[in-house]
Amino acid sequence: MKSFQISSALYRFVVFATLLFVITPLIAVIWVSGFSNKVISFPPQGYSFDWYLNAWRLDTFREGFWLSLKVSLMSTAIGMLVGVPAALAMVRGNFPGKAFVSTLLMSPMMIPGVVAGSALYVYFIQFELLSTVQVAATLPGLIAAHSVLTIPWIVRLVVASLISNGNQIEEAALNLGATPWTVIRRVTLPMARPGLVAGGLFSFIVSFTDLEKSIFLVGPGSTTLPIAIVNYLEWNLDPTVSAVATIQILMIGAALVFSDRYVKLSRAF
Amino acid sequence: MSGPLQLGPLRPNGKGVSMLLSPSLLFIVVLLLGPLVLLGRYSLNHFEPGQFMVQGFTAENYGRFFSDPFYRGVLFRTIWIAVLSTIICLVLGILPAYFIARVQSAKWKSLLLIMVILPLFMGNAVRVAGWMVLLADRGLINAFMQAVGLTQEPVQMLYTGTAVLVGIISVNLPFMIITLQSVIEGIDRPLEEAGLNLGANHFQMFRRVLLPLMMPGVITGTVLCFILAMNAYATPLLIGGPKFQMMAPAVYEQITRSSNWPFGAALAFVLMASTLFLTVFSSWAMGRKSPAPAKAHA
Repeated sequence: MKSFQISSALYRFVVFATLLFVITPLIAVIWVSGFSNKVISFPPQGYSFDWYLNAWRLDTFREGFWLSLKVSLMSTAIGMLVGVPAALAMVRGNFPGKAFVSTLLMSPMMIPGVVAGSALYVYFIQFELLSTVQVAATLPGLIAAHSVLTIPWIVRLVVASLISNGNQIEEAALNLGATPWTVIRRVTLPMARPGLVAGGLFSFIVSFTDLEKSIFLVGPGSTTLPIAIVNYLEWNLDPTVSAVATIQILMIGAALVFSDRYVKLSRAF
Repeated sequence: MSGPLQLGPLRPNGKGVSMLLSPSLLFIVVLLLGPLVLLGRYSLNHFEPGQFMVQGFTAENYGRFFSDPFYRGVLFRTIWIAVLSTIICLVLGILPAYFIARVQSAKWKSLLLIMVILPLFMGNAVRVAGWMVLLADRGLINAFMQAVGLTQEPVQMLYTGTAVLVGIISVNLPFMIITLQSVIEGIDRPLEEAGLNLGANHFQMFRRVLLPLMMPGVITGTVLCFILAMNAYATPLLIGGPKFQMMAPAVYEQITRSSNWPFGAALAFVLMASTLFLTVFSSWAMGRKSPAPAKAHA
């Protein structure tokens, strides 16, 4: 019997070469961050951790890191607050126009970042002209923009874990005399835990790494980490920026490995 | 005691549903749809340098875009890069996707999946930094080529169109692999074996059995990669340099640096409309042309 030759050497080579092509940029960045050279050149003259210290000393990276952390934590929290009820309504509720609402909830994922970012920028400034309240280039404005970004991820992953659970346990709890809110608190939310954890982590990552939307919304002198990296790269290419990139790679890698314990990563798409 | 009417939040209908949904929908309407409508309106305004906004109702921004060979060039370059990178992503993505979907060992499977998913979540800034380290004059690729004697002088790779293409492909390829992988996983192995047993060679089996069955994944992956490539910002900005202009950096440039909101808004809408049009058109064409599995005979 002929079967597809998954073991053929050439086939394996092509597969691994392709995967290597995808992951090499990350490996290169991590490698370079340990060089002692002042300018990136191969092979390295030696290895040191100085670039990490240098990255930390540069205000733009240190402050960018804190701003990114603040914005992504806040926007994930807000995304959870508005996204989890929406997921509940999508799974257990029955109402007309459900498909349309679902499209709306997913739309932040489908509108290109540059378009959404420029639209929000113009909108915020227009609002400022009418109300004299500044929103553009402020922390609340940035958090608001990122919160919208997190909604589709949270809705999608929480919906997935609620659907796979069914609702028999909820009904049993109701029959045993629990009030609906107790059931939600004690049964529904614990059952949705994998979706909540993965949705939260993915939202955090999407917000932390967002570039295209944030470039329009940061204030003068305060940037998020990805913007700090891009601005730096426009003028320099040295191991400092790879040290910064490595920190981000390790942080997000850890978050992904952690979330993989709750929801298989490949199911998120 | 608790009748069906008291199930409230668990079986929400009417008031319950709107209570649960309204916060998130409010966010989306106020912070996404509202801004988009306003941007659309702005694209029809008149622009006078120095003045913040001049109300108007004119198509002159779109007219300027399509009559200026520079901006037409930017749009065509963007479309060309997006189409080419998407086709290459599809070709490169099929084999790894198939391998990951069919590999027996669970350990290998999750290792390979992590290899694909990790770069996907790293953010564009970091991935582009990686490509700059590789492509720079004293970067890894040049150092390697000089070490093995392929060239004496470093080859200029940064700030070329090819480098942008390579960068965009590597950024988008994981999306294609993941999408195809999940579809292939749902296709029963015996269907492939049946095809092979009936005398098809591997290529015929792929074309007549596997490809038609994985068409939904092909369309989803293609659409995803195309949209991402059309809207690529960091890759053309940093790897392409000032000479290699694409649409997304041009939108940023017009809105924030030149403060020409009407023209920037028009650029954004041209970008969004052309992406949408080409997406709908290509998925329609692919859906129509996908070979019908029932008629297959070798």
